[in-house]
Amino acid sequence: MFYREAGQFKSTYAGDQQIFPIRQDRIAFAILLAVAFLVVPLVANQYWFSAILTPFLVAALATIGLNILTGYAGQLSLGTAAFMAVGAFMAYNFELRMPWMPILFSFALAGLCAAAVGIVFGLPSLRIKGFYLAVATLACQFFVLWAIQRIGWFTNYSSSGVITAQKIVILGYAFDTPASKYLLTLSVVAGMALLAKNLMRSQTGRAFRAVRDMDVAAEVIGIRMMRTKLLAFAISSFYCGVAGALYAFAYLGTVEPEAFNLDLSFRILFMVIVGGVGSILGSFLGAAFITLLPIFLSVVSGWISHTFDVELSHAMLSNLELIIFGGLIIFFLIVEPLGLARLWQITKEKLRLWPFPH
Amino acid sequence: MSSGRKIGEPILVVDDVSLSFGGVRALQNVSFDVCEHEIRAIIGPNGAGKSSMLNVINGVYHPQIGTVTFKGETRHHVDPHYAASQGIARTFQNIALFRGMTVLDNIMTGRNLKMRTNFLQQALWVGPARREEMEHRLKVEEVIDFLEIQHIRKTPVGRLPYGLQKRVELGRALAAEPELFLLDEPMAGMNTEEKQDMCRFILDVNDQFGTTIVLIEHDMGVVMDLSDRVVVLDYGRKIADGKPDEVRGDQAVIDAYLGVAH
Amino acid sequence: MNWQFFLEVLAGGLLAGVMYSLVALGFVLIYKASGVFNFAQGGMVFFAALTFVSLVERGMNFWIALLATLAVMIGLGIAIERAVLRPLVNQPPITLFMATIGLTFVLEGLSQLIWGSQPHGLELGIPDEPIEWLSQNASINISQFDLFAALVAGILVAALALFFQKTRIGRALRAVADDHQAALAVGIPLRQIWAIVWAVAGFVALVAGLMWGARNGVQYALTFIALKALPVLILGGFESVAGAIVGGLIIGASEKLAEVYVGPFVGGGLESWFPYVLALLFLLVRPEGLFGEKHIDRV
Repeated sequence: MFYREAGQFKSTYAGDQQIFPIRQDRIAFAILLAVAFLVVPLVANQYWFSAILTPFLVAALATIGLNILTGYAGQLSLGTAAFMAVGAFMAYNFELRMPWMPILFSFALAGLCAAAVGIVFGLPSLRIKGFYLAVATLACQFFVLWAIQRIGWFTNYSSSGVITAQKIVILGYAFDTPASKYLLTLSVVAGMALLAKNLMRSQTGRAFRAVRDMDVAAEVIGIRMMRTKLLAFAISSFYCGVAGALYAFAYLGTVEPEAFNLDLSFRILFMVIVGGVGSILGSFLGAAFITLLPIFLSVVSGWISHTFDVELSHAMLSNLELIIFGGLIIFFLIVEPLGLARLWQITKEKLRLWPFPH
Repeated sequence: MSSGRKIGEPILVVDDVSLSFGGVRALQNVSFDVCEHEIRAIIGPNGAGKSSMLNVINGVYHPQIGTVTFKGETRHHVDPHYAASQGIARTFQNIALFRGMTVLDNIMTGRNLKMRTNFLQQALWVGPARREEMEHRLKVEEVIDFLEIQHIRKTPVGRLPYGLQKRVELGRALAAEPELFLLDEPMAGMNTEEKQDMCRFILDVNDQFGTTIVLIEHDMGVVMDLSDRVVVLDYGRKIADGKPDEVRGDQAVIDAYLGVAH
Repeated sequence: MNWQFFLEVLAGGLLAGVMYSLVALGFVLIYKASGVFNFAQGGMVFFAALTFVSLVERGMNFWIALLATLAVMIGLGIAIERAVLRPLVNQPPITLFMATIGLTFVLEGLSQLIWGSQPHGLELGIPDEPIEWLSQNASINISQFDLFAALVAGILVAALALFFQKTRIGRALRAVADDHQAALAVGIPLRQIWAIVWAVAGFVALVAGLMWGARNGVQYALTFIALKALPVLILGGFESVAGAIVGGLIIGASEKLAEVYVGPFVGGGLESWFPYVLALLFLLVRPEGLFGEKHIDRV
């Protein structure tokens, strides 16, 4: 009875096409933002910021990026981590060689570099589809990683290959506490998520989805394949690049190229599947789920160890994690291929009627 | 039956088109023309090459020999984007709607050639992008009203019954405000009422907007009633061309349909 | 130009390529019969190898352990068909592909959970030493083991080819691969066929696992060998047994040659990406592979 839409009529198309047409949703979202920006920094502790919230936000941004390419435009990509790596290392280099440049600008430029790489490795998508494209993106993943490792310029000729991200200083204010890094990441991610949502609702998003659903028909109605596919790769890689830069600067601190391996690409893909393909909200849900799962598992195993006096080794835990991840993917694909986002939609539909059964 | 609208000069000329796939000859030396504002039917037994002919006209297939002239421009090779930008729209035999999107979104995609804002403007959702979206939404709503599908505008097309999907596909093509409309078996799989509705829509499109229509259809009643002129194909060749009554009485046409060997 | 060295590298590459083909064969089998691209083939190879080696280490006789592992792999195949594929029967291929990615993770975790994560050595009795006759008479070093692997692969391919072409079940498999509905319509028991296919693929995985395990040791990295099979499949086409062999040879040879002759100029490590880039370039020219079937989109 709280979620009634009755009485909320729209008299303009603009009203009909809002992101949150139902007033209760708008209120809920405003509260969420208030909590995220105002309450959390006051309440949460360092562990929460550095181990849970910031990585979740970074993962959500990368997931949005992959979702744009794979979920909306239907181009399967296994090279997400490579684009993040480009973002991270280029941001590092921009800051290193042009320290006068504002750091957010470096992030944006790094994103553009990632976009350029995305366009180059997206060119094959004009001829190749489906699994074949996935294998082509593997070429991107392995090649980019190799290039960053072998070409010394990227790591500033560090012998170990490890770089240390510089401090984030904006207009004289240093973002060096976990809380401040969290707020910065939150702002960037929230802003970019809004842009992505707008974009996917508009004609560009429709063109992407048309290419995904039936590209021959899309061509026939005048949608240009090359432009649309390459745009998808570019925007997606831009998002992943910025996510990579944030990953290095706001979360890890010290980065090595191996951190952006195939495993990370798979993780982000899992976030897309679990959260829901073709959904911005789903990207957040999936990222939250996959980020929190290992923590949840270790808490549960700690509880089991304690209660039943059994020793659960670290190796056992990480193997269990693998099994559960894989099992979850299969579970979601069988039960709800549209992921958590769809489950959320169904919940809202039920809420509309609650407490009545129909 | 015509309604007094003036049929003009040829707007589309197909000249000596031959198309093969490997060893299969889909079309052989087919030539005909379509006049502005008329309704032209292409008929023939199954496998005669009718869909292939439409595919050649709008650039999905490229003929080995022959040209297609549209609005005075002659081309040997048409690509789909060019055809669309010149004002050719079409529907497909097996519905080619975008299953993941709603009816409204599907029809909105039909407006894509008329939209000018770039992705940056759309991402920011200020001024020009917003205005353009509302402008085109208005146009699309007109199409929705015309086709009487207001009640399903937010439904994902995958959930709609066949007849309604066909109507939505018609809407998507209409949204592009085409000059030439290629309809591939628009009545296939419909019951009598649905067929009557579809006929009404096609006639209204031709009447109100003056759109030239080329349609492939198997229902002879529909063909005789709707079309101004008919082309008959059999085994990739043209075997008759003229007014419905002339073609109906043509011996070669009767033989083709009865399966008489020739 | 040192010709002996070149031949050595080439031979080494070709034989390494045969090893890739062994893994690729498993992919082809499953794809041919069910249209599913089984990304989990690498996980199956790892699982097979680890199970076998752990049984042997616990004192089981070589041949009994082999049979036992085979039984386990067949059981695994049937379980996969029932738990993962059957519920997803009508989904688009991309969904099935992603499910097999999930399956890979499950297999990796499960293998190590049951048998532990230490690397193991695997002894098949064939030493990884140069063939004496060749090294003495022609100064070319070609490993006995590599040759043995090539032989095994050859026998396997011949057996599979015969199976597909001559037996009733083989024909049924090909029918199923072409059109599920039509196969059902003529009374081919789809579920049983799939179970058979996965069982055979499990067997192939076991053979591949033994070969790779003997060569590189049985360890987690084995799962990544499966990834290398992907460029092989692209070159050879997803549906061709012969293609898997030819593709493997090409990938193996070119990878080794590139590594040895180009590697020193660019700091080495070419093998991590060279096969994929090669496959990518190939795809641009011929999207369906050397032996694959051309795909025509009917509108």
